[in-house]
Amino acid sequence: MAEPQLGHAATSNNVVPVDGPGSSKEASSASIGLPLRQAMKQPVAEIKIHDITDKFTRACSALEVGQLVKDEYFTLFESIGALEIMDPKMDSGFLQPGEASEDDYDTLGALLPEELIGIMDQLLCYEMAWHTGYPLSQTLFTSVYIDKLLWPEPKVLEQAQFYRGEITDDKRPGVLLEVLRAYCLALVKCCDFAIARITSRDYFEEEDFCTHTYNRVLFVQVPMNVFQRELDASVERLQDGTEVEINPILRDAIVARLQFRKDFLTALDLDVPIDHLEAHWQPLLDGLTTITTTQQLGKTVPGSFSLKIQRRLASTVPPRPIVELDSADAFSKLKQLITDCKEATRFPSLPPDPIEYQNFLWAFASRTPTPLPYSRSYLANLLFHESSISIPLADMRYLVFPASPILDPTNWTLSPPRNPMLPKPPRLQLAILIDDFIDRAGQPYLEFWTALGQNRCRLRRMLNHVISAWDQLQSDAGVVDEDLKNVIGQMNAEGQVLDYPLTTWVYHKKLWMMEKAVLLGFEQDIYLPDEYAGMYLFLNNVSRKRKDLLLTVKSDFNNRLSQLRSNKSASGLQKAKEVQDGLLYIDSLLAETTATLELGLALGKFYVALLYLDLIPRPKRPFGSEQCRYELRMKNFLNLHPSEVTEFSEFNNHTKPFGPYEKPDTDEVDYTKDKIFKWMANPTFWSGMEEHVRRAKEACSLLRKLGPQAAHAVGVREAWDKEVQSTMASCVALGVAVLGLKLAAGAEGPRGITIEFPTGGQGKRYHEGWVVGKVIKV
Amino acid sequence: MSEQGAELKAEELQYVQYQADKEETYLPAIRQLISRDLSEPYSIYVYRYFLYQWGDLCYMALDSSNALIGVVVCKLEPHRSGTFRGYIAMLAVQEPHRGKGIATKLVCMAIDAMAARDADEIVLETEVTNTASLKLYERLGFLRSKRLHRYYLNGNTAFRLVLHLKPGTALKRPIAVELGIDQPGQYQGYPSASHDPMGP
Repeated sequence: MAEPQLGHAATSNNVVPVDGPGSSKEASSASIGLPLRQAMKQPVAEIKIHDITDKFTRACSALEVGQLVKDEYFTLFESIGALEIMDPKMDSGFLQPGEASEDDYDTLGALLPEELIGIMDQLLCYEMAWHTGYPLSQTLFTSVYIDKLLWPEPKVLEQAQFYRGEITDDKRPGVLLEVLRAYCLALVKCCDFAIARITSRDYFEEEDFCTHTYNRVLFVQVPMNVFQRELDASVERLQDGTEVEINPILRDAIVARLQFRKDFLTALDLDVPIDHLEAHWQPLLDGLTTITTTQQLGKTVPGSFSLKIQRRLASTVPPRPIVELDSADAFSKLKQLITDCKEATRFPSLPPDPIEYQNFLWAFASRTPTPLPYSRSYLANLLFHESSISIPLADMRYLVFPASPILDPTNWTLSPPRNPMLPKPPRLQLAILIDDFIDRAGQPYLEFWTALGQNRCRLRRMLNHVISAWDQLQSDAGVVDEDLKNVIGQMNAEGQVLDYPLTTWVYHKKLWMMEKAVLLGFEQDIYLPDEYAGMYLFLNNVSRKRKDLLLTVKSDFNNRLSQLRSNKSASGLQKAKEVQDGLLYIDSLLAETTATLELGLALGKFYVALLYLDLIPRPKRPFGSEQCRYELRMKNFLNLHPSEVTEFSEFNNHTKPFGPYEKPDTDEVDYTKDKIFKWMANPTFWSGMEEHVRRAKEACSLLRKLGPQAAHAVGVREAWDKEVQSTMASCVALGVAVLGLKLAAGAEGPRGITIEFPTGGQGKRYHEGWVVGKVIKV
Repeated sequence: MSEQGAELKAEELQYVQYQADKEETYLPAIRQLISRDLSEPYSIYVYRYFLYQWGDLCYMALDSSNALIGVVVCKLEPHRSGTFRGYIAMLAVQEPHRGKGIATKLVCMAIDAMAARDADEIVLETEVTNTASLKLYERLGFLRSKRLHRYYLNGNTAFRLVLHLKPGTALKRPIAVELGIDQPGQYQGYPSASHDPMGP
């Protein structure tokens, strides 16, 4: 594998991955004119044998020795899939002299209880390695026992034994082998459930999870209770003790494993009713503790796992090593899977509110370590479970339709006039316009949620696509908004409705996603330190727009409030109360985006200062140009309407307010290095930055004070609280860093400091999206 | 590493473009050098796929006895995103010769060659933990564009690195879209299960 080694100026760094070739999907436009291709298209009616030796020899004589001919259809994908026979590293059928193709491990040989425990735990390790993304062929399917059970394919479960056909009584497997069989059968069924669950949702084969079963059928047709019964019977036989006498400590350890397997199988069941979900996961946590503490009782049985089985699983893939996940890692992954699934089971009991759902999904996607594919699919299944509310409608109601005549329920009760030539009543027109728009919004909304269910890297990339989809939706919303305005005009209700409500709703969501996409870029270390300034200033720009939008919304809420209060009717006051409550949500959004805006601006200015102080490494970059790099960075946002990306010159005005970072020491330029240093040595230079930090903190405090209720995040109170606190901590850290710079600044530039950039994903940042450079004294 | 010392040493090497009629001379050494760092070797067809079509984008560093010290292998073709895209597929330098700027020189030659052939952009992937490789490319002007979860067979994650050579590259779009034709292949929210690292 391409080894990542430090200290090599040039390791063989980038090689095309063996499983993922490059642009192999290019559509070949060439006509299919090759005789062989045409021959392959013929229906295979009867086999005719032609001697092509002469033709072949003649054709070959037209070529020079060593001359290559490339078929137009031979793609990179095919070249990567090609194997060289008789090369031991590629040819899985290649045998060293004297090597046997099969192992001689006896699956009917008696096992010690210790060995049984060892095998069970080893299987659990491989099961978890599979869950983290490795194929079965390198994990569970290396077990000789599992191989025996699954191949040749048993017609009925009874045939799934560690032997095939008839055997003499003295060969019959003993109790411990029967116990192992029950365990393995249930384990295989667990895999079947996992595959079914994951493939029912969006996932990515190579990067998330391998579903390949190599033509082995994982007891798809056999119902779960059969496996539960096998496990129960095993437990009984062990506890009965008449057939076999085992040290009680070992016996209990084995029983605990059987019980765990049964619980796990039950939890993974696809048909488990939605209202009992949580009850299934807690016992697993308890069971796992027992397994962990008795793990040292086990004894490994090396021969019971073999790489040779791969030969029979897939002949077109080179032999690949068994993936060794050590037991501590495996158990922690398993614990994580259980905990995450348990967390996911809270989803159905959330308040029926799209913002609550969104906050839950965001918090789930942000869990560390990042949830495994199974847990994400598990949540996705709950998420897309039928819901009684129209999600997009409820979402827009909160933001732009406070007690609005547009969403008045009576609008949906009107019937069209009998005569189709007559105009429809305005209220009915409103209902139809909204219904149509909700239909239109359904797909982008679904894509948004789907993105939130992906692995973190995929989430960032997918968000960029979803943003485009919402950009399209925004332009459609504009048209519907015009129609709404006309109808509202007919009703003389102009003052009661925000201008362009649908556009506002879509645009707000789009800007929110853009903020997250940029923050995810920081989290995933996509930007280099000398890009920080520009990207935080861009983030600041985005959240400024969101804030402006929210301020308009807020003033509409306030208008509506005074209208309703002046109308002293009971229904008016009731509606006023609704709007009043709704305002809290707007205030919470405002505080959130203000924090982003101010902290983004403060950090942007901070990094601009560091660039002038030569405290950030700036690669020379002989290729390309700054403008090209700016375009590349903004690529995902270049086509949005309204335009979110400023001209390069404008961008430069902000990132280089004093001209180029490299300064000739002459008076010909406006700002010499000397002048900049002198200026920075003056505390007032930093006071702007400090002011933004202060405002960011203030916004965080306000956000916290408004609380999860106002943010519609009561379902994820703790995670929400932590998010706000870590943003606050980032503000504090920035305040400290600015102070450090201020103290070090002098007329000759900063003295005796360097900047340390905390790397992502290692717990070194207060908030993964906010990279706050640390001022270090040297 | 001392840049000066590196340059002196590097001078002893000669940098040559691969030639298809020299396959017998060079390919075995290229394979050996590249596969040293792979758990699973590429078949000869992978090398031929690149060298047959883009042999002129392959550069080799040879020592005075013509032994292969380093190599870079690339391709250049229209990408479905609408750009004319170069791709650095393989880069390797013999262990004892690392740290002397040989890889940088090879990559620069490849980029120059691709730029001369009107490439819009150049891309590649490298492991997120491969600091040396990241530094090499980032010094030259590459930016990280994507993080690719479990990109490699060993489960490691990669960065996609991109260098735009021409202004306006980021604005290029698939041709079908320019014509206003709806592309079924465009993102639909339901990704196929395929892992196409060169994807959009």
